[in-house]
Amino acid sequence: MIDYLYDGTFEGFLTCIYENYYGIRAYGIYPEADYQVSILTQFKKVETDEQKALAVYSGIRTKISEEALERVYKVHLSAHKEKENIILAYIRLGFKKGSFISAMHAHPVVLAMQNQEQKVTFETHRLLGLVRFSEINGILFCRIEPDHDVLELMADHFADRYKNESFIIFDKRRKKAIFCAGGKWYIADFEPDEIPGFETGERLYQDLWRAYFENIAIKERTNPRCQKRCMPARYWKNLTEIGIL
Amino acid sequence: MGDMLDKLKVLSDAAKYDVSCATSGVQRQNTGRIGSTQSMGICHSWSADGRCIALLKVLFTNKCVYDCQYCVNRRSADVQRASFEPEELADLVIEFYRRNYIEGLFLSSAVEVSPDYTTERIIRAIRILRETYGFAGYIHAKIVPGVSPELVHRIGLLADRLSINIELPTTKSLELLAPQKKMSAIVAPMKQITETILDRRLLSRTYGSYSGGSGGAANLSNNGLMIRETAEEFPLGMKHQIQSRGGYKEKFAPAGQSTQMIIGATPESDRRIIKTSESLYKTFNMKRVYFSAYIPVGNTASGLLPSVRTAVPLRREHRLYQADWLMRVYKFTADEIIDEANPFLDLDMDPKMAWALRNLKRFPMEVNKVSYEELLRIPGIGATSAMRIVRQRRQAAVKFDDLKKLGVVVKRAQYFLTCCGRYYGGVPQDPELIRRELLPPENQLSMFSDPAPVRIESKGVRYD
Repeated sequence: MIDYLYDGTFEGFLTCIYENYYGIRAYGIYPEADYQVSILTQFKKVETDEQKALAVYSGIRTKISEEALERVYKVHLSAHKEKENIILAYIRLGFKKGSFISAMHAHPVVLAMQNQEQKVTFETHRLLGLVRFSEINGILFCRIEPDHDVLELMADHFADRYKNESFIIFDKRRKKAIFCAGGKWYIADFEPDEIPGFETGERLYQDLWRAYFENIAIKERTNPRCQKRCMPARYWKNLTEIGIL
Repeated sequence: MGDMLDKLKVLSDAAKYDVSCATSGVQRQNTGRIGSTQSMGICHSWSADGRCIALLKVLFTNKCVYDCQYCVNRRSADVQRASFEPEELADLVIEFYRRNYIEGLFLSSAVEVSPDYTTERIIRAIRILRETYGFAGYIHAKIVPGVSPELVHRIGLLADRLSINIELPTTKSLELLAPQKKMSAIVAPMKQITETILDRRLLSRTYGSYSGGSGGAANLSNNGLMIRETAEEFPLGMKHQIQSRGGYKEKFAPAGQSTQMIIGATPESDRRIIKTSESLYKTFNMKRVYFSAYIPVGNTASGLLPSVRTAVPLRREHRLYQADWLMRVYKFTADEIIDEANPFLDLDMDPKMAWALRNLKRFPMEVNKVSYEELLRIPGIGATSAMRIVRQRRQAAVKFDDLKKLGVVVKRAQYFLTCCGRYYGGVPQDPELIRRELLPPENQLSMFSDPAPVRIESKGVRYD
């Protein structure tokens, strides 16, 4: 019984899958950073190898399906503690069943994948609406704290929409950010010491937005439960209309 | 700028009874300088009443020459009045949009001076957005009844979605409550929009992508966004030339049209409302028919409207939306949902369940055998779970335990299906008994009521 440890990257993870097939069968796969050593299992650190990762990458695409590859990638972005092992089980089943796996909705392994993928996809979609930029020195800045690592899934949408703007979307939880200017973007580690305050123009539009938000609700239909179901309170602290940035 | 704050308050307050906040139905990349649209739509926030905020929903002005009894902005109402300037509204939209507060603009208006005058002002504001700012985000524009067809056409070339409120389900009610509005003036632009959209679709099918326009006199505004004013005969030989110029392909209301009616201000039955919306879907190809539960803001003194103390019929509105969903997504007909004998929807039970209980002879259905369309008729099974069942059963029979994993609401579905020949509902196939199982305990007869209700103890055999 052996656990493989990797550096947390997608390539590193695929290298572990490679080792699982061409070396010793993996008992579990975990990111090295928060691995709990157990007396029952051995562990081995796997060095990320691009060639091996690429072999697995194209293996999943050709032997299972394009859809499965996308699913594997998205679930790897999720915050689930056992995500590597959910994917491992899925890939093992996938190499046996081929593209049929996409129709096995009730299989526990597929179901777990499907649920995690849905969470990542849904949070991405939700955040496309819940991001709130503030203009600071001509640059649009926003802070988010998503459950899953969805930053890169959001980038193309905003890069196209604001192709003539410069903006930063800062994931406070993972201390990284999208930097985008002129429609081109990249993601890098980011830890701002202090965010400059807002100018009067910015404050004005924030006040207008807050006034609009208050005013558009119909008093006779007040329904805070419905509001919270659609827009969970954990997102509120980064919303201009509710929290204070 | 405190002035702006007041205006925004007055004019958003006046617009909030318009229901539609849809930003869906059109997929467009950033063809201008700022903005894009997503076919599935994006919600940006949710207000305290739980309704989503996706568009900046405002009236251009709330100064109205009409005196519709149900309306908060009627001429005789004592409310604060304001108007936007086209420039300042466009600026507000862009600044909100840059900050990702909104997905676009919903622009409606009270009738100031005349329908044509009002629409000209709306067009001016939207043109500034589209041409000066190169805004390619979502725009929903309201059509004022009685406006001339040329203006409907111009606004359709600028906006993504158009809507004209039918306001009330029958002509009689409209005459009573909104004497200045004529049903014919509401229906005419609806018809014009439907026909223009159909015409263009036919053209695009024959000749590839129809880029529309005046055939030559296309003026390329300074931001590269191609805007054409009128649509005359399109010289077909020029198709390639115009397309090769690229840029913004002109479309007429690409996200279609919708409408809205008020529920509970007049005594129409649910059957009347649903029949009216069915014919709106059929005749005009509406994307949506919205309902808005009447909130007593109108002229109650006239005696034509329910009193101020009347409760807002939210549950009824909810059931009507469920019925509407059955028509649009599940392909039910209005007559199936609601019959002459019971012209109101059951408030305790969703209309699909109510239909199933009225048609119990069609159930139980075997999930491994019946078609996709029949699966959709089972309460507790929706479009997603029906699709999954169909895919899954190609490989292996669907078992009862699988249903929940496939997304079926087993609690409701169990009385209407069999799995591999076995029925899991536990109670006999009797509408009264199933109804009693489904309703929450407080709706059932209490222990102390007389006569004592018959309870079925056995819940059948289950695999656990």
